[in-house]
Amino acid sequence: MTTTPAPLTDLSVTPPSYRHDPAARLRPVNWNRVTDEKDLEVWNRLTANFWLPEKVPLSNDVNAWRQRLTAEERTLTMRVFTGLTMLDTVQATVGEIVQIQDARTEHEEAVYTNIAFMQAVHARSYSCVFSTLAATPEIDDAYRWAVGNDVLQQRCKTVLAQYYGDHPLKRKVASTLLSSLLLYAGFYLPLHFSTHALLTNTADMIRLILRDKAVHGYYSGYKYQRGLERLGAAERAEMRTFTHDLLDELYRLELRYSGELYEPLGLMDDVAVFVRYNADKALMNLGYPARFSAAETEVNPEILAALSPGADENHDFFSGSGSSYVMGKAEDTADDDWDF
Amino acid sequence: MVDTTLVNRADDGAEGGGMTPLTTAVTVPAAPRESVGTRRDYHALNAMLNMYDCDGRIQFGKDREAVRQYFLQHVNPNTVEFGSLREKIDHLIGNDYYEEAPIRRYDWEFLEGLYARAYAHRHRFRTFLGAFKYYTSYTLKTFDGSRYLERYEDRVVATALFLGAGDERLATRLVDEMMTGRFQPATPTFLNAGKAQRGELVSCFLLRVEDNLESIGRGVNSALQLSKRGGGVALLLTNLREQGAPIKRIENQSSGVVPVMKLLEDSFSYANQLGARQGAGAVYLHAHHPDIMRFLDTKRENADEKIRIKTLSLGVVVPDITFELAKRNEDMHLFSPYDVERVHGRPLADLSVSEHYDEMVADPRIRTTTLPAREFFKTIAELQFESGYPYLLFEDTVNRANPIPGRINMSNLCSEILQVNTPSTYDSSLGYETVGRDVSCNLGSLNIAAAMASPDLGATVETAVRGLTSVSDQSHIDAVPSVAHGNDLSHAIGLGQMNLHGYLASQRVHYGSEEGVDFTDMYFYAVAFHALRASNRIAIERGTAFDGFAESAYADGSYFDKYTERTWEPATERVRELFTRAGIALPTRADWRALKESVRVHGIYNQYLQAVPPTGSISYINDSTASIHPIAAKVEIRKEGKLGRVYYPAPHMDDDNLEYFQDAYEIGYEKILDTYAAATQHVDQGLSCTLFFRDTATTRDLNKAQIHAWRKGIKTLYYIRLRQEALEGTEIENCLSCAL
Repeated sequence: MTTTPAPLTDLSVTPPSYRHDPAARLRPVNWNRVTDEKDLEVWNRLTANFWLPEKVPLSNDVNAWRQRLTAEERTLTMRVFTGLTMLDTVQATVGEIVQIQDARTEHEEAVYTNIAFMQAVHARSYSCVFSTLAATPEIDDAYRWAVGNDVLQQRCKTVLAQYYGDHPLKRKVASTLLSSLLLYAGFYLPLHFSTHALLTNTADMIRLILRDKAVHGYYSGYKYQRGLERLGAAERAEMRTFTHDLLDELYRLELRYSGELYEPLGLMDDVAVFVRYNADKALMNLGYPARFSAAETEVNPEILAALSPGADENHDFFSGSGSSYVMGKAEDTADDDWDF
Repeated sequence: MVDTTLVNRADDGAEGGGMTPLTTAVTVPAAPRESVGTRRDYHALNAMLNMYDCDGRIQFGKDREAVRQYFLQHVNPNTVEFGSLREKIDHLIGNDYYEEAPIRRYDWEFLEGLYARAYAHRHRFRTFLGAFKYYTSYTLKTFDGSRYLERYEDRVVATALFLGAGDERLATRLVDEMMTGRFQPATPTFLNAGKAQRGELVSCFLLRVEDNLESIGRGVNSALQLSKRGGGVALLLTNLREQGAPIKRIENQSSGVVPVMKLLEDSFSYANQLGARQGAGAVYLHAHHPDIMRFLDTKRENADEKIRIKTLSLGVVVPDITFELAKRNEDMHLFSPYDVERVHGRPLADLSVSEHYDEMVADPRIRTTTLPAREFFKTIAELQFESGYPYLLFEDTVNRANPIPGRINMSNLCSEILQVNTPSTYDSSLGYETVGRDVSCNLGSLNIAAAMASPDLGATVETAVRGLTSVSDQSHIDAVPSVAHGNDLSHAIGLGQMNLHGYLASQRVHYGSEEGVDFTDMYFYAVAFHALRASNRIAIERGTAFDGFAESAYADGSYFDKYTERTWEPATERVRELFTRAGIALPTRADWRALKESVRVHGIYNQYLQAVPPTGSISYINDSTASIHPIAAKVEIRKEGKLGRVYYPAPHMDDDNLEYFQDAYEIGYEKILDTYAAATQHVDQGLSCTLFFRDTATTRDLNKAQIHAWRKGIKTLYYIRLRQEALEGTEIENCLSCAL
């Protein structure tokens, strides 16, 4: 007589569980048994979108950088990008990694490793911009500025406190807010530049980053909602309050941080609207209604129209490599295909 | 709706040309540079095209308002006004803005009349991108770049005067053709004609490189020289010996084509930094060259920095035999060009690989390596996913259709120029021993919708052919003698077409439908006739034909067989009606027979006549859909180095005819290839043919499209463009580009 064996998932754990139960049997990740289709969908999208900054001809921006930007604008750009590098460093080294232990499926664990790697690619890509456009003293100044800037530090540490805290869902909220709210204020500048035909190859690179970020923020939010579904009403209410409190705190910090950067160039009014828009977007990713009114989030159309994460720019090949190419799915041709 | 026609123009009364003197030349200090924080409303208005209104409709009105604001806020305040035409012309010549000689070839009365004639067309830009592109890239500016010295009409007249070369009738006809939008010269001509400080009138070149260091050195030098002049250059690398080939009979010495590509890429970007327009280059390599996989791998996402090619465009020359081998799922042999040249006494690029394949495989003197043929095609498709490259040139198709003696072994940066060439030889100090024939492309396009509305399609084509011939006559690229020599002997031109999709949709015909293909066939049929007849007339007037005419398929009449042996007429009632209603009589067999006879006796002046380019920029200023392919999107998001990110609504599109504006991704490659195949049979050179895929396609889908294209007799394939839809849940609300 045969009995159906118990499912492997009941008999074993994935490696991150070792620290809770060293005696448990370990199980390799099995992509042939996908329990949440979203994991596979996101994995496929992320891998197809793999890219490296070296493919973007950033040196084509050298003229615009030297001749068309003022010293003040160059400093702003360096700082905005250093700020972005900081956030991506937090995500690559901590934010995504700490979510692995909370994963609900083994495939989710794998997705975070991919996201963490791409965040490291993003962090590196700003360095590529720096080394192409700027000189070492300017670069060193920007890093010194980042280390010395209290608001920037506080912004990161507020998120890190949650990452190293004890609540899995709070980590997700923090990660989603970082990806969907904090990062985007930094993207405002390159998007604005590209509309005005400045640093367009850098903007191509930013579009590649945006393409990834849209998925990263969405995925954390999605997993958060799945986690929330398992909680009771009281805990859910607590999470809701927590989310809104953290959002308010980060929103205030963001306005201070961005204000310091953008105010001198008269861009802050626009940026503030954009920050609110992204705050709502973050809440939407987490499954909550918008916090700000439609009027408060009416983003400058040039920026909004440029935000679409789809790869739909019809670029001129002679001035850039564009942001629409992906890793193709290789498939052998069959004899039928050659029937002529 | 706002009536843009009233403001899309500085001063309806002044009419710029000086008919009604209003103001005297104003000297205004150069405008201060706008900071990055400066708000420009017209960009925001234009961006609203990419977002639906509350009722889910495309906001066409916002773009028209963007044009209006662009003129009010930017163009008008920054345009220099002149009191009279004479004052303007004197100022422009006196200050070295206009070249004097081309203008002085005409009487003053004639000039006044011609300017008045141009202004009487009351030209208006229909889209923001059209106006923005024109003023950003074409119009004459003060030397400090701060103020505009020309309006659209002025650019048209300056171009017509220059191309007319003193012929009042031709200059007048060119003004009419350009002001009605029927004929639009290519960018380098329209941009430069008449200006004193100008680049070349042609900007696209094809150069052979032979298997010796002198030729490679010349190639790099020519790339530098032509880039400095704003040109795009394609180079043929097929003849270079492969990696590991012997040098001076010592084995394993050559490093192959990749280091040469690196040299070229760096040359193009160096010349680019001198400030001309973006230097751009392409390299073509034969599929059976032993370095072919290394050549392709330079575009890999994870290629090492030393071999990665970022900005150079790649093209692969594919003969029929490669398809046959893939069909049989066999290996393809790659032939050492070094050995081939020694054995055959001719470089690889001048041989038909299909014809000599078995013989070369069997010849022990020729080193070969192998590669599974299907693997080769799959690799090409993989690379196209990652980078859009390479272009493909179907070598045997191209040479079968070529009416000119000689061999075609490469194309250009846009894959539409297909002309024969011959090698140059050099002495050791890089001087020429023999000057070979290289190619320059000299292009201009008809707007199909406007041409169909022409009172005389034949005259429109003839004027275009004469305009382009004038560009050839007035071009002398001294820096590259082989190009100058080729042009002197061939007078080759490339008359292109654009706005096919716009025209079809305006007539409520679906792109790629039976009627759409039928129209394409008949339109190109008519153009081929009129272009040949025009070239024949020029030959009669000048009493000379292009060099080598006597050995061509035009001279022996075989070119005409397909037109004299059967009747060509519309296959569908709808298309018959389109031509009838437009008052266009299609050429008959008797017309062709008469033309054949006249050509036999007098020849034709231009070695090549047609080539259909991708028409990026000129289709925007001409309010056309690009080339003969379908629109990329109802509202195209255009990104260019000089413009930034701008939105372009498909010409002729409104709320009522949206269904005829399916985009290229929806239409699919079969219909695009059907359309191109219909046109190809009437075009002596090539047609830039981009294929569009969603990211759900696989390499197999790309390969199937390539097989289909080759079987349909398509000559070249240009870029692969990909579109990836936003992942569900990450879209931007109300954004048009997310709601496809």
